[in-house]
Amino acid sequence: MKVTLQDSKRGNPVLLIALIVASLVLVTVYFREGDSGIVHKMRSGVLEVVAPLEKVGDAIASPFEAMGGWFSNLAVSREDLDALRAQNDELRARLAELEEARQENERLRQLVEFAEERKFTKLGARVIGRPTSSWDGVITIDRGSVDGVEAGMSVLAPQGLLGQVFEVSSHAAKVRLITDQRSGVAAMVQSTRVTGVVKGSIDGGLTLDFVSTEEAPVAGDVIITSGLGGVYPKGLVVGDVVSVEERRGALFPRIKLVSRVVVGQLEEVLILVGVVVEADAKGGDGE
Amino acid sequence: MNRFWVTAGAILAAIIAQVAFAPHVALLGVVPCFPVLVVITLAVVEGPEVGAVSGFAGGLALDLLGTSPVGVWALVLVVVGYLAGLLQENIFAEGWLMPVTVAIVAGILAELSYLVVLQVLGSGPAFWQSVWTVVLPRAVYNTVLALLLYPWLARFLRSDRSMKSFRRFA
Repeated sequence: MKVTLQDSKRGNPVLLIALIVASLVLVTVYFREGDSGIVHKMRSGVLEVVAPLEKVGDAIASPFEAMGGWFSNLAVSREDLDALRAQNDELRARLAELEEARQENERLRQLVEFAEERKFTKLGARVIGRPTSSWDGVITIDRGSVDGVEAGMSVLAPQGLLGQVFEVSSHAAKVRLITDQRSGVAAMVQSTRVTGVVKGSIDGGLTLDFVSTEEAPVAGDVIITSGLGGVYPKGLVVGDVVSVEERRGALFPRIKLVSRVVVGQLEEVLILVGVVVEADAKGGDGE
Repeated sequence: MNRFWVTAGAILAAIIAQVAFAPHVALLGVVPCFPVLVVITLAVVEGPEVGAVSGFAGGLALDLLGTSPVGVWALVLVVVGYLAGLLQENIFAEGWLMPVTVAIVAGILAELSYLVVLQVLGSGPAFWQSVWTVVLPRAVYNTVLALLLYPWLARFLRSDRSMKSFRRFA
């Protein structure tokens, strides 16, 4: 039997044009208004509504993901074991070379901890939402403005810098990951103190830009935040250099990093609620 | 009015699925896009007008859920929904293969158009990198989901009409 509904299926160019114009108006308003504009506020409202849904989805999926991970580990455990043994041998061989860097790293960690104790108040939060789109590197946490969270605050994972709060509702906030393509982190090579900018990308990778060939780090170097620009406090671990690729005719080499944070396995994070006093662009409450 | 509520319910269900379910079925970082699938299915089943309106609603929801400029997904899905409805109306009238093909092509077109609009607005990621790492993998994932979901969803949406085409699936 043939489906014949031609009358109800005719195109309506006027409707199409009206909806296109409405969309373009939305885009224009979004760009022209400030962060307190109506469209931006709509996003905060939506975040408030969907946060419980994300929490429910996370709670339902967690047992299945844990079970999947358990089976996955069973299936590849022998291969992993061989790989880890090889990696262990390599790391033992490199241990002596890295001893000096390790000590320096330790000193810097103490400095960072000192700075954090002095200037920051940390607030724990639970990850309740993973990225809902391949276009965005964003997670949702269960702390919001009622907890003192504000846009611009840095967010840490146990392994290092995770990202920055960029949208807040009453009881939830969105964190833009450093691996998001719109992220940029003023950073430096821990061993040489050479500064650059770490940028995210659409595939979730990290690159260190604006470091000259002569000053380029080597694979294995640790990259930390430099504190320049005042967005992120100084001394937080951003990631490790995995490759440095010379590019003919280019001013800077392509330096690829890997973040130590595995977002898919992340359950809790720390928000730096107190802001760096000397670098706070928004004039927040330093301690 | 009844069809309005069915359509609205389908879009709402897609949005809830996107928020609560999609992040947990991501493969290699590729997250499927249920609202796009539903908008295209609505367009193919109901025609260009419903495709455009549902595209605006679904696109606006995606915009508000995401971090890109608000209005981009709405713009893209209005046009893609309308075109998908027109294609189905003017070229294919029955059978299951062609509507599914329209759904797949429209899905790829939606992702690619989104990238292009972002580029035009100056907020887009690297073009070719995005094509290889997001547009194509997501299109493949959405295609698989479209093959699985389309016949059932279409049958649900047009349950008041007799259709030989989908009996073999549902």
